[in-house]
Amino acid sequence: MNKKVVTGVVGNDIHVVANRLIDISLQARGFEVFNLGVNTYLEEFIDAVVETDADVLLISSLNGEAEGWCRELQFLRAEYELKDVIFMIGGNLSVGEAANIEEIVPKYKSYGFDLVFHQVDLNIGLDTLEEFIGHKS
Amino acid sequence: MSKLLIDVGSTYFKISSDEGVKQKFRDFNKTIFDDLSVSFGDTITKYDKQDVHICSSANGGLSTLIVGLTNSFSLKYAKNIAFNSGINIIDTILYHHIDESAVPGDLLDVVIVVGGIDSIGGLYDEKLFDYLEKLNYSNVVYVGSKKDADYLKENIDNLTILDNIITDKLKVHEEGLKEYLTNLYQQDIVGKEDIKELYRLTSNQIYSTPYIVNQSLPLIDARFEVINPFIVVDIGGATTDIHYSRDLARDNMVTSSEYDRLVFKKLGVYKSKESLIFAAKNNEFVYELLNYLNVTENILEEQSEKATRILMQLSIFLVLCKVSTHNPLYITLDLHILKSIVLTGGITKVLAYEEVEAIVQFFYKKILNTTATPSILLDSNYDIWTLGMNALDDKRKQNVN
Repeated sequence: MNKKVVTGVVGNDIHVVANRLIDISLQARGFEVFNLGVNTYLEEFIDAVVETDADVLLISSLNGEAEGWCRELQFLRAEYELKDVIFMIGGNLSVGEAANIEEIVPKYKSYGFDLVFHQVDLNIGLDTLEEFIGHKS
Repeated sequence: MSKLLIDVGSTYFKISSDEGVKQKFRDFNKTIFDDLSVSFGDTITKYDKQDVHICSSANGGLSTLIVGLTNSFSLKYAKNIAFNSGINIIDTILYHHIDESAVPGDLLDVVIVVGGIDSIGGLYDEKLFDYLEKLNYSNVVYVGSKKDADYLKENIDNLTILDNIITDKLKVHEEGLKEYLTNLYQQDIVGKEDIKELYRLTSNQIYSTPYIVNQSLPLIDARFEVINPFIVVDIGGATTDIHYSRDLARDNMVTSSEYDRLVFKKLGVYKSKESLIFAAKNNEFVYELLNYLNVTENILEEQSEKATRILMQLSIFLVLCKVSTHNPLYITLDLHILKSIVLTGGITKVLAYEEVEAIVQFFYKKILNTTATPSILLDSNYDIWTLGMNALDDKRKQNVN
C-alpha cells in the first residue's frame, strides 16, 4: 500500500511551479499524493489529512509566510489526535535574508514539525523523508 | 397548440395563457384545486390536459442537519450541495465534537452523514448512533467513505447510501446527493395532497418553481437587459430563492452547473412573516435601514399595505446580507463583481423600481462600502417563469424526438 501524502503551499503564496515539482517528485517515488495546490490554509491541510488518513503532511512555502501560518500546528495536531502523521515543511521558511538559519529549524520543530528543510534541495528533503518513514516503521 | 402555464405559490396563483398572465391571491378556505377551478375555471377548461403545465412552490423547503469529519471538505461540500438543492441547513456537526454538540428539537427532513475518501474506513462509532437516536428526522443519507457504508447500514435504520461526495482526489462529486435532495424537495411539494389533486388538470409532471426558474437562467442574459454575472431573487410568500451565476461563488469547487440556487425558507413576506421580522430585528443594520426608509420599527407590527412594502424591502436587504461576506454561515457571493440583480415573484407586483433601488443602494453603501451598484431589473410580468416553463417543455419534446 502506497504511503499517502497531503501537500500544498501554505498561506498567500502562489508558487505553483514548486508545488507541481513536489507533486511529480512524490509520485515518482511511489507516494499517493493529495495536492491542495497554492494558497492553502493550515486548517485545510489538517482537514485533508483527516479525510484521507494520510501518513505525511508536506507543506511548502516559498515566500516565507509559513512562519506566521504554521504557529497553530500543535493545537490542530492535538485536536485531531494525529500522533502517527509525519509533519514536514520545506522551502524558504523565513522572510528576508537576515534570518539566522540555526534558529529556523528549532523554531519550526517547536511548532510541531518532524522534518524541517530551509533552502534545501527537494530531492535531499524527500530522501530524508523516506529514511524517516523507514525508521518509523 | 398554445399552452396553459400555472404556478401555485404559497400566497398567489399565476396563470399564463394566450390571454396573458393573470394572478390571484389564494383563498385559504378552499383546496388549491377548488380555488383554481373557481378563479380560472373558464380558462382551464379551454385546454387539454397535455397542454397544461403546473409548477408549485407552496410551502416548499426542507431542513437538514449535516454530520461531517472536517470543515474544509466533507461539511463544505455537503453544505454547498444542500444549499444548491434548496435545503435549509439547521446545523452542521463536526464529528469529533459530536459528544458536546447540541441536539436540535425541530423535525429534520433529512440528516446527511459524510466523511472520508473511499479507501479509508473505521471513521464512525457508537457516538454517531447515540447522537442520531436523539434526533427527530424523516430521512438519513450517507455520502461518505464506501468502506464504512455497510457498517453504518447495519446500525442505522432506513439509511440511504449514495456515492461518496468526496472523490479520491479530494474534489467534490455532487450528482448523487444533489439528485437525491432535489427529488426529496420535489416530493415534498408534489407529494402534498393538495398538489396531487392538480393532476386532474394536467397530464404533465408537476415541478417545483425554483427548478423552473433555474431552467431559465442560461437564457436570461440573451432575452433581458441583464449582464452576467447576475442574481435572480424570487421573493415569495413563504420562501425566498436566490439563483446566482457560479462565477460569483467564492469557493474553489469545480461543479458541472453554471447556476446554483439557495432557498431561504424563513424569509417570505406572508406565510413566514414572523420569522422574517425576527431575522430583521437581529440584523444590526435594520434599524438604520428603517430610519433610511423614514419609518419606525412599529411598522413591523402593522397590518397595512405600507407595512408589506417595507417587509419586502427588508427581505431584499436580508437576502443580500445572507449571501454577502456579512454572513459567513451561508455561501458567500462576490457581490462586488455582480452586474445585475433581477427580481421576480410577487414582490415585483408590489414594489416600484425606486423602492428596490433604494434598498440596493443602502446595502452596497453600508455592507460593501461602495456607491457602485448593479443594474436592477424587475420581472413584473413573470417572463422568467414562463421562459423556464417553455424551456423545460422544449427540452422534454427534444428528448421525446
